[in-house]
Amino acid sequence: MAADRPALTTRKAAWLAVVPLVFLAAFYVWPLGRMLGSTLESDAAGRILSDQRTWSTIWFTTWQAAVSTVLTVLAALPLTYVIARYRFKGRRLVQALTTVPFVLPSMVVATAFVAIGLDSGLAAILMAHVFYNVAVIVRTVGGLWSRLDPSLSEAARTLGASPARAFGQVTLPLLRPALTAATAIVFVFTFTSFGVVLVLGGLRWRTLEVEIYQRATTFLDFPAASALAVLQLVVVSLIVWWYSRRQAFMTASGLVAESENLMGVTSSRQRWLVGSALTISIGLLSAPLMVLVAKSFAGGGAGWALLFSPGPSALRPIPAIGNTVVYAVMSTLVAVAIGLPAAVIIARRRRLGSLLDLGLLLPLGTSAVTIGLGLLMTWSGTLTVWLIPIAHALVALPFVTRSAVPVLGSIRSELREAAAVLGASPGRTWREVDLPIAARAFAVGAGFAAAISIGEFGATAFLARPATATVPYLIFRYLGRPGSASFTAAMAMAVLLMLLTAGLILAVDRLRTEQVGSF
Amino acid sequence: MLTVNGLTKAFGDRVALDHVSLEVDDGETLAVLGPSGCGKSTLLRVVAGLTLPDAGTIAWDGQDLAAVPTHLRRFGLMFQGYALFPHRNVADNVAFGLRMQDMDPPQVDRRVAEVLDWVGLTGFERRAVTSLSGGEQQRVALARTLAPSPRLIMLDEPLSSLDRNLRDRLRTEIADLLERNTTAAIYVTHDHGEAEAVGDRVALMQAGKVVQVGAFDALRDQPADEWVAEFLGGG
Repeated sequence: MAADRPALTTRKAAWLAVVPLVFLAAFYVWPLGRMLGSTLESDAAGRILSDQRTWSTIWFTTWQAAVSTVLTVLAALPLTYVIARYRFKGRRLVQALTTVPFVLPSMVVATAFVAIGLDSGLAAILMAHVFYNVAVIVRTVGGLWSRLDPSLSEAARTLGASPARAFGQVTLPLLRPALTAATAIVFVFTFTSFGVVLVLGGLRWRTLEVEIYQRATTFLDFPAASALAVLQLVVVSLIVWWYSRRQAFMTASGLVAESENLMGVTSSRQRWLVGSALTISIGLLSAPLMVLVAKSFAGGGAGWALLFSPGPSALRPIPAIGNTVVYAVMSTLVAVAIGLPAAVIIARRRRLGSLLDLGLLLPLGTSAVTIGLGLLMTWSGTLTVWLIPIAHALVALPFVTRSAVPVLGSIRSELREAAAVLGASPGRTWREVDLPIAARAFAVGAGFAAAISIGEFGATAFLARPATATVPYLIFRYLGRPGSASFTAAMAMAVLLMLLTAGLILAVDRLRTEQVGSF
Repeated sequence: MLTVNGLTKAFGDRVALDHVSLEVDDGETLAVLGPSGCGKSTLLRVVAGLTLPDAGTIAWDGQDLAAVPTHLRRFGLMFQGYALFPHRNVADNVAFGLRMQDMDPPQVDRRVAEVLDWVGLTGFERRAVTSLSGGEQQRVALARTLAPSPRLIMLDEPLSSLDRNLRDRLRTEIADLLERNTTAAIYVTHDHGEAEAVGDRVALMQAGKVVQVGAFDALRDQPADEWVAEFLGGG
């Protein structure tokens, strides 16, 4: 009821909004403004647009993203179907395991594909992209599929539709909201792919991200790098805008609880279907990682030994591991401190909330390289230790808010009213009702933030110095060095990073209640 | 004593309260009886301070409450849907209002035990509220409302979501509890039987207006108009 005494007044909301808005303005809007200014003040835009190299890069970026997306959907379909429709032992575990590649740091994935022997070329890039994004399809499409009312396609069958037609005419259209969302996400992710292409692309294959990085770091041509970043931002914004417009019109309907919807695996045909889909999918998803682990021990564990020996090099693993952990803690603190008030506003205030929600999503859609470049051009030299955590927090923020907002929003206003009637002030009500109910969701968001920070490479690549190097940055540097010792050391570090991330994500997954938020 | 004067509230075109004036004395239970949608629940929400009235005043012992926010009014409200805190167990739900008064923990425990005994839920302290049956949840909600000794107890259709058997039994229990409590109480219901059993006086509401106030028998014997006669006779 609109006339109710609002628990979160406009004035309080405005105060709460100050923190996230200032953060966004200082570390996102201003850097972007500087980049735009640098583009416009110089002849960079003209130079970029008349350069053949730019157009071939844009062309490659686009088509590899399209091909990667199609391949990802096709590769994910069997696994998605089996997880969404069948009840079998270890289903939850399979679900959790398929999420692991998605959250793995790009340097781990790149190193794994180098370890397989696909160290450069198009096939390696596409396979790495599929490996990465299968989870997006399984989670997003599978989540909806498992809750579609089966009687709808059964009705189609009784009306004379073959199983294939029932799928095409009923199930597929019903899945479209999730499919559109998932393909848009995968396209944006692969369009802005950086670490994987930087390592696996060799001299030939470059995405816009890689081009931005090389223009800035190799040629020190910041205006040109800025112009490319602005160009990329425009393209990605158009995709996101299209996607959110589509999403506004599509609401899934006729859903039932997943638990009453899953089929048992009974016939031998079903056993064969589920068994083979699971074996092949899990096999393909785990193979690169198993090879990585195995090869990290090549040469009698010299790589692992190098990891723990204080060598003469300026880039030593031990301090980098320390940096990684410290930065993870710092960026999680920042992300939660900013995300907490932001989530409250998004959950409780319609207009200011949706504005803030969009504002926090922008950095995630902006690509890490752009953020890194922007922060480098604006804040370099001033924030020292905090610069990398701030970059990480910027990327992690929407994960904090998005996991907490659905829970905060689902708290019935009656509960807050009951607390008020029992004598709790608005602040006390927030501490006694909202916070405990949403605590798990915030913990989930914090876990994601830590995992993102541990593996972040794109922004870190710009901001890291020898003294502030993180593990992903070190892996990249070690992969570029000659000699098998630094190569196995890179693999050892990748294994370490993988274990850290997987551990965090599995812990988060255990915390996650059913349907806490979405990607 | 609660004094409500000229209370008016509209949601868009729909008038929920139309110049409602009522008094509830200490120790008295006023049953507010009327068909669903007549504004009964809005009345409770406005008195509790959860909804702001368009016009009219609410006063306690002559002190106007317009500037007093909900949490400082010391009025208890039992919600129709109970609004139990799902993240707290039975004892913590009942203790909530006591903790808001900064009562000592040992004292809180004693009071919780006492109130749970009233509603027949001794031994349920550690149970999760989500694991309780409808009737048990209703009792927890009642206990939670009574525990902080509010100066006014408001019950919004406390029996409506229960099955018939349970309803008849709990009706008597609630009537006894309200009888034992010396606080003022407002009991909102659409059920004549409940109004008759629980209310010292009954206020009949229709379309946001209080049509008639008085003892149940008086209302039945001398209905103010045809609608009252029909509404009470139809029961």
